[in-house]
Amino acid sequence: MHKRIRNFSIIAHIDHGKSTLADRLLQITGALSEREMREQFLDKMDLEREKGITIKLQPVRLKYSSKDGQEYILNLIDTPGHVDFSYEVSRSLAACEGALLVVDASQGIEAQTLANVYMAMELNLEIIGVVNKIDLPGAEPELVKQEMEDVLGIDRDEIILISAKTGAGVEDVLEALARQIPAPDNKEDDPLQALIFDSYFDSYKGAISYIRLVSGRLQKGDIIRIMSTNKEFEVMEIGVLSPYMTEVQSLSAGEVGYMAAGIKNVNDTRVGDTITGAQRPAQKALPGYQEVKPMVYCGLYPLENNDFEKLREALDRLKLNDASLFYEPESSDALGFGFRCGFLGLLHLEIIKERLEREYDLGLLATAPSVVYKVILTDSSEMYVQNPTRWPEPQKIEQVMEPYVKATIMVPHDYVGAIMELCQEKRGNYLTMEYLSPQRVMLTYKLPLSEILYDFFDALKSRTRGYASLDYEISGYETADLIKLDIMLNGEIVDALSFIAHKDKAYYRARAIVTKLRKIIPRQMYEVAIQAAIGNRVIARESVKAMRKDVLAKCYGGDITRKKKLLEKQKEGKKKMKQIGQVEVPKDAFMTVLDIDKD
Amino acid sequence: MSGQSLLNNASSERKKLMRNYSTGIYIHIPFCIRKCNYCDFFSVPLPAKEYLQRYTNALVAEISQRAHEGAGKKIESVYFGGGTPSLLSTEQLETIIRALDDNFRLPADMEISMEANPASLNARKIQDFTNARINRLSLGVQSFSNDDLRVLTRIHSAEDVRVLIDILHSQGLENFNIDLIYGIPGQSMDRWIKSLQTAADSSPMHISMYLLQLDPGTPMAMDIKKGRMAMLDEERELEMYTLGREYLQGRGFDHYEISNFSFPGRECKHNLIYWQAGEYIGIGCGAVSFMDKSRFINKPDLKAYLYAIENRQERPVEEIEKMSHKGLIADAIILGLRLCSGINMEKFRSRYGIDISREYSEVIKSCSQKGLLKIENGQISLTRKGYFLSNEVLCQFIA
Ligand SMILES: Nc1nc2c(ncn2[C@@H]2O[C@H](COP(=O)(O)OP(=O)(O)O)[C@@H](O)[C@H]2O)c(=O)[nH]1
Ligand code: SF4
Ligand SMILES: [Mg+2]
Repeated sequence: MHKRIRNFSIIAHIDHGKSTLADRLLQITGALSEREMREQFLDKMDLEREKGITIKLQPVRLKYSSKDGQEYILNLIDTPGHVDFSYEVSRSLAACEGALLVVDASQGIEAQTLANVYMAMELNLEIIGVVNKIDLPGAEPELVKQEMEDVLGIDRDEIILISAKTGAGVEDVLEALARQIPAPDNKEDDPLQALIFDSYFDSYKGAISYIRLVSGRLQKGDIIRIMSTNKEFEVMEIGVLSPYMTEVQSLSAGEVGYMAAGIKNVNDTRVGDTITGAQRPAQKALPGYQEVKPMVYCGLYPLENNDFEKLREALDRLKLNDASLFYEPESSDALGFGFRCGFLGLLHLEIIKERLEREYDLGLLATAPSVVYKVILTDSSEMYVQNPTRWPEPQKIEQVMEPYVKATIMVPHDYVGAIMELCQEKRGNYLTMEYLSPQRVMLTYKLPLSEILYDFFDALKSRTRGYASLDYEISGYETADLIKLDIMLNGEIVDALSFIAHKDKAYYRARAIVTKLRKIIPRQMYEVAIQAAIGNRVIARESVKAMRKDVLAKCYGGDITRKKKLLEKQKEGKKKMKQIGQVEVPKDAFMTVLDIDKD
Repeated sequence: MSGQSLLNNASSERKKLMRNYSTGIYIHIPFCIRKCNYCDFFSVPLPAKEYLQRYTNALVAEISQRAHEGAGKKIESVYFGGGTPSLLSTEQLETIIRALDDNFRLPADMEISMEANPASLNARKIQDFTNARINRLSLGVQSFSNDDLRVLTRIHSAEDVRVLIDILHSQGLENFNIDLIYGIPGQSMDRWIKSLQTAADSSPMHISMYLLQLDPGTPMAMDIKKGRMAMLDEERELEMYTLGREYLQGRGFDHYEISNFSFPGRECKHNLIYWQAGEYIGIGCGAVSFMDKSRFINKPDLKAYLYAIENRQERPVEEIEKMSHKGLIADAIILGLRLCSGINMEKFRSRYGIDISREYSEVIKSCSQKGLLKIENGQISLTRKGYFLSNEVLCQFIA
């Protein structure tokens, strides 16, 4: 049976057509009836569907009757297509024997894709090249094929041309999957080893783990052991996703499915962990995923103070299928009790925050994201600072270091100048430039992570009319001339607004942020003084004039209803504010620290 | 005293108090000669003179339909508002007042006010109206600058007003109000002072000064949006308010409500009923009533109103709010705090059964700290600073 199992991933840049191709695969293999079919079926979260971005598709098992007369089982285990989640790519790829590389015929290879393909090659995966969107008027399939051959060494004659939209060529993809991807090793008789490659929490069944069996068999009622914790559980249910959860009697080596074992504790079913049998345990765990470290931190505070516990529970739940999410309680003078949370990047941050708000019905306030700085103190001890409020006294600081990345940017050669200028502005150091084809160039730069976190990507896109793509990896810490900027409202430092800035840019940023705050803080009963300071030195100031008038208009008998509506609106408006001292600050003000570069 | 008699005592006490809160009658005349560009009151340009008679007949019918609502109430004021009630002919006015007297029994010396557009009055009409028992006029003057009046698209001039005021004095109708508007696009401080001065020199008993606030649907709001004219900035508006207040106080007027000034004892009784959360019977198309803990409105649809009354059907009423006890309290506070003397907390307690200072201690504390609210001699009121920011305070009292 395992001989006709094909486990594969799809590697594609965002928007190159992963969800659409998956829809076609579901359709052609008959996994869904016409009635059940809806677009972007495997996009798991409402959030993904709304934003039109796919971070990662839900796993699915397809049955395909090949032209050789055999029926194959195709398991799709997706890889995420956003740089924030690159680490996750390894965990999906490790569960597969092959990968579809999908490239948009009008765009060509993007920086991020390159890195993911290299990773697949390192893991010895069979790679099937696919050029999508050949129906587009601007499609240049031949050029893209050439690029794939030149850059990635994929034989251009084997690349499949398709349109996921019209379905053209998609049969050929299915055939290639069946024919070219190797079957998993037959280790059904060995002790059980199953890799947890994803999991989530179901309120009825407890933790649901998505697993890939590497060896052995698994049945309902088996006692399994989690290898990292040695805890044992009884298997309550196993099944496959086709695409709905379908219970099965057993799963064996090479197969992919889900398992529920009444696991309640988040830590007992970590992604990357190995499951084995309690009766006949395996000697060794499967190579685990390397632990990922969050790169960006911010404070998340409940707007309602008594939602703190609810927030903790929600974070616990999300952590279950997101090992990279980090959080610990913290408190702020301005905001009360909340959590310092670590994320892989800003998209990750945004998604987690939105999920907390939607799925757990929490009102949240996020402070500005910060990278992790390394500070060497005068007593030569070291500390890592991921919250500007923890910044040591300037006189105790010997040296400050900040994380740098090596960024790879791919761009049509007309835009090289624009990119260089941008990187310069962002304190980047030029490393290399390489022609991928006569038209396309790959640039590498060393850049401070803090500079590319927020708006770099947008700037890149807007200065290259959307043609540039970016990938990056952390390259290490480098010394930098950084200082802490405090923001004061009516003379009081608002700890949650403090941020770290490069000395050369401090003045400009201070100016920009006080101006921005002046615009977004509504007029209050008192004049509000907004100041930015380095230590005791105020370097920028603005003020919000006191609110002057309200209702000096007529108020007759009939008007009271209208008047009350007005008052209710005003009252609602107050709820969107956070009271800091005497000042009401809109809750999104805390993000503006970073927002200012955008204007 | 037995429990029963205690109860009786309490309820008769309550009745007595209820009686103390008088009831007003409001009559809406929804016609104007031409619609002003800033106006969002319910009024339409008078389609044809005959309409006034048809409308008068309808009012008379509604009055007799609603006679029972006055049972057991003490009617303390009648107010003709609009629109432009001064468009009514003497006969029409007499008919309406006679109907009111027949159905509600109007006490001899009660206040009967009428809003009047200076362009719609003359010596003759004033004489006749006075004979018909109108004893207070509220003049929609708005400004004594013809430039302002043009911006406001008023149909009268400053001269019309001067002439009219002379007539009022010569006929001994001293109890009149002058409405002024400030914050008019293009209005200078100087013009505003002149308007105030001329108003005070005209020796009215009462002056209202309202800030121009535009409903987004009005033509003037459109002009502003399109950049054809500009509102004054807030600082200037505040200056105008402060100046107006100080000037009028200097001229002997009492500041008794956020936007209203009068000589002692000459407050507008009808508006006091509103601000003291009293009951009122609203008659006519678009009129609002507050009776028996609910507030409702005669639908502002002239055709529907006339049709229903003429065909002896139920008049089209939209219920706005059936008030809970809490809602009544919130309204009473919102309205009561508009009065400069504020709310007497003891009276409030016996009327609504709650102690404001206890019930709203948090709000009172924070607003007092901010200098917006004060409690003195058992009265809770806005401070001078609080007038400007009244919404900020009031919104915290609503449920
Ligand atoms: N014309 C054309 N558009 C396509 C094709 N495949 C995908 N698209 C469109 O490209 C956009 C991104 O596709 P999607 O599948 O969501 O990409 P993903 O981000 O990789 O999941 C959507 O608007 C699709 O409709 C194709 O073959 N031809
Ligand atoms: S006269 Fe008064 S009611 Fe009539 S349109 Fe002008 S402002 Fe409105
Ligand atoms: Mg998608």
